[in-house]
Amino acid sequence: MAKVGVVIPLALRGKLLPMQRNSRSSRLLAGAFALPLIGALLAGCSSTGSSDSTAQSKEPVTGGTMVYASGDAEPSCLDPHVGGNYPQALVASQYLESLFTKDANGEIIPWLAESTKVSKDGLTRTIKLRDGITFTDGTKLTAEAIKANIKHLKDPNTASSTGYLAVGKVVSVDAKDDLTAVLKLSAPDNALLESLSMPWTAIESPKALERDQATNCASPVGTGPFKVASWEHQKAVNLVRNEDYVLPVDNAERASSTAYLDGITWRFIPEAATRYAALQSGEVDVIDNAQPDTISSAADSGLGHLDAPRPGSSNRIELNSSKAPFNDVKVREAFIRAVDANTGVTSLFFGTAKRSNSLLSSVEPLAYSDESLFTTDTAKANQLLDEAGWSERDAQGYRVKDGKRLSLRFPVSTNQSVPAEQSLFEQFQAQAKAVGFEVKIDLLDLSSWYGALAKHEYNLVSAPYTKVGPSVLRVLYHSDSTVPAPSGYFANNAQVKNEKLDKLLNEAEETNDEAQRASLYEQAQKIVLEGYYVLPLYDQQNHFLYGKNVHSVGTTTAVSSPIYFDTFLDQ
Amino acid sequence: MGTIAWAGRKIGGALVVLWLVATAIFIAIRMIPGDPAEAIMGGPGSQASAEALAAARAEYALDQPVLAQYLLYQGKLISLDFGTSYSLKQPVTQVMGEVLPNTLWLSLMALAAAWLMALCFAAAATRSNRFGSALGNLLEIIAAAVPHFWLGAVLIMLFSSALGWLPAVDNGTAQGLVLPILTLALPLAGFLTQLMRDSLSEAMGSQFALAARARGESRLKLFWRHGLRHAALPVLGLTGWAFSSLLSGAVVVEAIFARPGLGRSLLSAVLARDIPMVTGIALFSALVYIMVMALAEGLERIINPAGDQR
Repeated sequence: MAKVGVVIPLALRGKLLPMQRNSRSSRLLAGAFALPLIGALLAGCSSTGSSDSTAQSKEPVTGGTMVYASGDAEPSCLDPHVGGNYPQALVASQYLESLFTKDANGEIIPWLAESTKVSKDGLTRTIKLRDGITFTDGTKLTAEAIKANIKHLKDPNTASSTGYLAVGKVVSVDAKDDLTAVLKLSAPDNALLESLSMPWTAIESPKALERDQATNCASPVGTGPFKVASWEHQKAVNLVRNEDYVLPVDNAERASSTAYLDGITWRFIPEAATRYAALQSGEVDVIDNAQPDTISSAADSGLGHLDAPRPGSSNRIELNSSKAPFNDVKVREAFIRAVDANTGVTSLFFGTAKRSNSLLSSVEPLAYSDESLFTTDTAKANQLLDEAGWSERDAQGYRVKDGKRLSLRFPVSTNQSVPAEQSLFEQFQAQAKAVGFEVKIDLLDLSSWYGALAKHEYNLVSAPYTKVGPSVLRVLYHSDSTVPAPSGYFANNAQVKNEKLDKLLNEAEETNDEAQRASLYEQAQKIVLEGYYVLPLYDQQNHFLYGKNVHSVGTTTAVSSPIYFDTFLDQ
Repeated sequence: MGTIAWAGRKIGGALVVLWLVATAIFIAIRMIPGDPAEAIMGGPGSQASAEALAAARAEYALDQPVLAQYLLYQGKLISLDFGTSYSLKQPVTQVMGEVLPNTLWLSLMALAAAWLMALCFAAAATRSNRFGSALGNLLEIIAAAVPHFWLGAVLIMLFSSALGWLPAVDNGTAQGLVLPILTLALPLAGFLTQLMRDSLSEAMGSQFALAARARGESRLKLFWRHGLRHAALPVLGLTGWAFSSLLSGAVVVEAIFARPGLGRSLLSAVLARDIPMVTGIALFSALVYIMVMALAEGLERIINPAGDQR
């Protein structure tokens, strides 16, 4: 059944750039690119807040150090191979690059790789590398580097989690020649290129990887437009321009192939209010984790806004179907029909988040959506609960069956759920009470939250998952993912165990036919949505605000982490 | 009691307290649910393999019986080895050494600022009328009661966002220190003023003060020579407590103002279940508390030798 291998041709060079542009920066392109390309770039653009469409486009200037303020916890290691979380991806995108990336349409394109093909049986993946790329320690990018990086990801001592899972099917890497790496796979994996587009599998200098872990964590060495100069713990990661940077894909727009900024001071400011105050006063130039209320007021202050939803899953509430009362599909649907997500999302997020009716992020081309499943209908909710046998009510108005109250545990991570989301959950709590559900919300720190999930002490949970491509569906809804890892972690929080679904997800990952892949993933998504295992809310929110003096913010990686290669400051 | 005997007793007591604290921490940490090996392998929700977890357990001796772990831990503490941070993979003493000066400097400045403010307020109170005194009293109580995170947010809103006078986050300059110091110092100053005012009023209204005034001594001179000494005594006695309250306040203030420091290390260590780091910082805080208490007591002996009747 396998067809001829997929080859991504050289012809893409100079035509497509892996970008999401916001309205401010897209104007800069107007002179340089043909109109159809602008359209393509804007298709990936999702800026909502910035209202500076009348501002004059600016000529880029070289110089200046940009101050970036992150609201995430400071990573304990700057090498995203180790562990592998989003804060690491945000900073590492400045100094590390991946073999592949995504264009504005969400298509995977080669980056450090030049082309790739896969054998008919899907078990041999050949990756040809671009010539002339050098790591910032002077080491050349060769097939040996790919070998060293996969080995590093698979080494238990690296303690890689995200990257380790992403290259799980890669058994070995051989260097056929200097620039050709041959990857042997244990099973066909059409998600491999997507996996290799993520910063958690970025390519680092093999020479640098030989150093001890603490050293590599403090100063990972890549091929990116910036490099790590120093890391003052709790204060800042100081990045400086890579003067020898070579942009892997030709770009007619850029005369110079090095970044405009002299460097970036990457700070960590955990308090949202402080972060925003520092941006307003000009102490910092860019902030991440911008909260809905500040995003709406930022437009009035003339600040720029970049909305870059993360790939992978949408933010959604999963209903634990492995135990009562959600082992009954009627009760699951009743809960979903009882709450009014549309109104809550609009009001609590000040219009900054768009309601989703899909398991996947809106940046995923294969996302399937069905609004009709999630409309609010309290009459139907009441009827479904009556049918399911929860027809009596106790003194407080909660439904009871066989002397047991219709009660739901909802552990909420204060680390992952922003205040607006916590308020949304409280609205759901009140709305569900009206039809007779008791929802017990527990606000927990991250460790306790994972602990509650591992012990199955939940009926409802919101646990977003970032990954490039629809194969995230396998991670989240295949019955294999109900089996806990040694740490107790499992990704299938809805506890979906469906043989037909498993089969669809397996086939979808192994097929060589794009159309078939899309069809299989659509069928899989339908099963989960129509089984009322999940209440989708909105994309994983990823908002950035930047000062008036900052220009050309908007280029992002495959995981929607911004890159500041094009960015420049007013001098 | 002689000074040497006094010092010897203090040091002995300090060692016993430290041992008790270390043991309490060891027990408390074992009672927190969760696998420390998981914390080593990338924190909560890690998907580390079984082999990787086993390797981590062996490396950090977590596969040993609890008693063996305890003895190992005590042995290391005696040789001042606090172990390696689970999340940062660096020696705890090194991590603490990097950020400690920031926290100590901030706390000392805040302590000095609180003393100064309390002294000024208390001095002003001795001269004010009933209305002024009542108003001062109210302000002191409010200042003493406000939580650091609220005060910090209000100060940022006022002086950074609205007025633009001072930076909201640490930028390495002296100006960047003003808001964090104020946030830490104001509540403490409110508390200390209450203490100082009573003793100061008492001193300024006492027989010897009246006599001195009658001799023609100026009010200012009287304040410096007699009042201050009386006012300082109760405050000194509480300095140990005050300093420890500043250390715990630093956890909040360092997070709000994005300053590097011990408080921020503690916060992230607790969230990451980084046992060696939490243990190290907790033990260190206990040590600082004991030292400051001893120092304050020593100062008291110097200022008021007559009080040494214990």
